[in-house]
Amino acid sequence: MKILISFLIAVTIAYASDATIEVIKKVDSLPTLAVEDSSVSYSKEFKMKFFKSLVADLNVISLFNVDRHYRKINYDASEVSYENKDINYVLRYKLSRDDRGALNIELKILNKNNTVFSKNYKVNNPKIYMFVAHTIAYDINSYMGEPPVEWMKRRVIFSRIVSPRKSELVIADYTLSYQHIVVKGGFNIFPKWANKEQNAFYYSSLDEKRPTLKYVNVKTGRKRVIKSSDGMMICSDVNDDGSKLLLTMAPTGQPDVYLYDVKTKRSKKLTNYGGIDVGGQFMGKDRVAFVSDRLGYPNIFAKNINSGSIEQMVYYGKSNIACSSFGEYLVYKSRESSESFSDNTFNLHLISTETDFIRRLTAVGVNEFPRFSIDGDAIIFIKNYKAQSSIGIIRLNHNKNYLFPLKYGKVQSMDW
Amino acid sequence: MKNIVILSAITALLVLSGCSKDPKVDEATSAATNEVVKDKAAEKVSSVETETVSSKEASVVRDNGSALSSSDSMSSLENDLATIYFDFDKFNIRADMQSRVSTDASIVNKKASKFSIKLEGNCDEWGSDEYNFALGLRRSNTVKKALIAEGVSASRIAMVSFGESNPTCTTKTRDCWAKNRRVDFKLLP
Repeated sequence: MKILISFLIAVTIAYASDATIEVIKKVDSLPTLAVEDSSVSYSKEFKMKFFKSLVADLNVISLFNVDRHYRKINYDASEVSYENKDINYVLRYKLSRDDRGALNIELKILNKNNTVFSKNYKVNNPKIYMFVAHTIAYDINSYMGEPPVEWMKRRVIFSRIVSPRKSELVIADYTLSYQHIVVKGGFNIFPKWANKEQNAFYYSSLDEKRPTLKYVNVKTGRKRVIKSSDGMMICSDVNDDGSKLLLTMAPTGQPDVYLYDVKTKRSKKLTNYGGIDVGGQFMGKDRVAFVSDRLGYPNIFAKNINSGSIEQMVYYGKSNIACSSFGEYLVYKSRESSESFSDNTFNLHLISTETDFIRRLTAVGVNEFPRFSIDGDAIIFIKNYKAQSSIGIIRLNHNKNYLFPLKYGKVQSMDW
Repeated sequence: MKNIVILSAITALLVLSGCSKDPKVDEATSAATNEVVKDKAAEKVSSVETETVSSKEASVVRDNGSALSSSDSMSSLENDLATIYFDFDKFNIRADMQSRVSTDASIVNKKASKFSIKLEGNCDEWGSDEYNFALGLRRSNTVKKALIAEGVSASRIAMVSFGESNPTCTTKTRDCWAKNRRVDFKLLP
């Protein structure tokens, strides 16, 4: 019996932090939270936009069962509204416009009618209210003692096809509700943040004689050419300190993965297969995962940067065409149907190099462009299902997916 | 002429980085803490930086236009070069496309001998991952090899893949998708 108990404890400890194992948390066990609006300014439409944005962010932090009912109350009322009397936490806020047109937000959290948290926020341009909602959710997550959700404040850069051979590069918040076009007017695709600070990015321009990789400093708006290659020229990944890039180039018509040193501007060919090798992703300092058709169908492989041996990473699915890595984890996109002339299903799966488990992260639709958050806590992706495109957030350790419908445009590629 | 407009990137940084700053606390004014979520955009909108990237195609028309007869102009020659179509999930040149390749190679070797050729590979609706761009490139590469076999110098041929991003037809039908699985010819100075 002791041996059995010891074994169970050992297994529990060994797999406690394995993200490939689904964490099943009973929804009922989460504390409840309701939101009350005490706003004195702004239209009903704006108030509802802010309310919905805040409720969505509070859901994404996955710490509460968030009540979706919109309720109004005086900010200084000593008790919560009658409908919320049995709710564990009540978040009450007041939006007000000051003389300069800035959006001011007073906010407090009530627990049993006692204020347990309060903070004021201000933003000069009310149009970027969603950033305040993200910041509020970030603060509440911290107040609850959870690890910081830095990714909530990070920016997404994506390319959007607007017409044949015309695209836009757009910087957005993580829900893509705020969008700012940074490059437009040409055919520019595959944007990739150049560093953790997100103050520069790379992208591929297809307007030149040969595909060309360019670099844009976001602060100054200046851009410069990094490198050109016949056939393909894509920055697939940037290492942690921004000093090395994984490029897909095809100088002789064969797409291969190259390691590029930003400082010395030298590139080293990492793959030599006579078919397709693309989409390199750093896995730690010495390993690279990539997509290859070397078995006759696209699949995910890995190799050590300094040695020649190549390892098959995925043994499930016959069409695994894109991946993103974080530490030992790999999320990949797999085609799960083979319809020649109708919509196919593409799902995302998570594997760990340390275990044999596979965790399916999505169930229906076309799910693509998975990218890990900077801390590996979440995965962002695009879901296309029943003529609706959405941006999805998967909270790996909370076993929850959240979708934010996209307004317009077809995303070509995305980086977080 | 292709214009690439870098649109107020500074504004984007200021706007979007505003929330990532540490909260500014002003305990003197309120029992609650105050955080200013900065929005510099409202205060200072940077001017739009516009950069015009010169187009080589355009400069050719301007620089050499007088030297070219209308029948030899690039655009009319491009119109003579036939698009090569492919079967679903296939990258080999179909039997019915062989004569097109030969005709194209003849034009490239004779009338268009002063120009370089850019082969643009395209796919139907299979997503826009790198792998799909590689599939489009494989089609370009097949045509390149066929042109070389017909005597075209490899040094004159450049290749690019547009994946599914350059459709000529956008309805969801077999005929439409078949039109998108193709390699187009473009001439370069």
